[in-house]
Amino acid sequence: MTSFRPDPPEPDDETLRRVVAELRRPVLFGPAIDADALRAIRAGRGGPSRSRPLRWLAAAAAAAALAASALLAVRSHPPPGAAVEARPVVLRLVAPASSAVVVVGDFNDWSTVATPLRPTAAGEWIVRLELRPGRYRYTFLVDGREWKSDPAEPPAPDNDYGPPTSVLTVS
Amino acid sequence: MTEGDAALVARTLAGDLDAFAGLMARYRSALGRYALHMLGNREDAEEALQDGFVRAYWALATCRDPQRFGAWLFRIVVNRCRTVLRRRRPDDRATLLPDELPTRGDVSETLGWREEIGRALARLRPHYREAFLLRYVEGMGYEEISRLTGAKQAAIRMRVKRASDQLRELLRDVVST
Repeated sequence: MTSFRPDPPEPDDETLRRVVAELRRPVLFGPAIDADALRAIRAGRGGPSRSRPLRWLAAAAAAAALAASALLAVRSHPPPGAAVEARPVVLRLVAPASSAVVVVGDFNDWSTVATPLRPTAAGEWIVRLELRPGRYRYTFLVDGREWKSDPAEPPAPDNDYGPPTSVLTVS
Repeated sequence: MTEGDAALVARTLAGDLDAFAGLMARYRSALGRYALHMLGNREDAEEALQDGFVRAYWALATCRDPQRFGAWLFRIVVNRCRTVLRRRRPDDRATLLPDELPTRGDVSETLGWREEIGRALARLRPHYREAFLLRYVEGMGYEEISRLTGAKQAAIRMRVKRASDQLRELLRDVVST
């Protein structure tokens, strides 16, 4: 694909026609960009993993890395031999005018379909989860188009990128 | 048969990241070309592109016409390029031309045609360069550019004209040699 239009307009000047012809030449960008973007998406944020980090995100990425290491310390490395039982957790969102709410987060690999909430008569949406002790980032997707953080939990530290997310601590 | 954008968007929204990878691969080079010409170097272009992809993923549910995903994604990358340009230090903008071109630039004869074009593009004001690229390289109509940039069509026509005049002037010596 070299242009979004099949027949782009031509300048009425020979010099500019030569300029445009040069600028329309295809330029290749490698799949490493896609892979890095996917890594950022899977991590639930835009933190770069390229050799040259995004400058303006450097501070946020550093904070996110600290938060991530804290998460891993709790979630991935429980004491050897310790039995870690899942705990019941109830998430709620007041959204009386909405027709569908799902929760998307670390606990369901950021799936937008895996964990729907059910409506209650009070205009509240609710879901019960079983989560092991740890900290989880998550957000709500309302009517398939609007991200909403959980007002009942603190915001994630790198909330200036991607959707607004909250952090749930299960102890 | 190649899967259409709308189908890939639907699969992405259902949690299939491979589908989003397909969308990125489809538009990567076309969008990268715009970012490269707009920003003037590959590193910044890759940054804008990657950033645009991630933002597009998180905002995908708001793409109201998935069949026109490419145009929607283009708008995001155009905005990311603007952000990259805004972040540049004042020193980076020191060589920009004023609105009215006072004198012909000193054009080196040692650089190739492509390098000369890159140098000339870099000397245009960003909104002139943006309008020129969208109009002549990406082939957009004025109405579409207006929707994408938020500027009035008359202003865009003026920007394209000034960009054209300045490019022609900057490249005059190169063409005549």
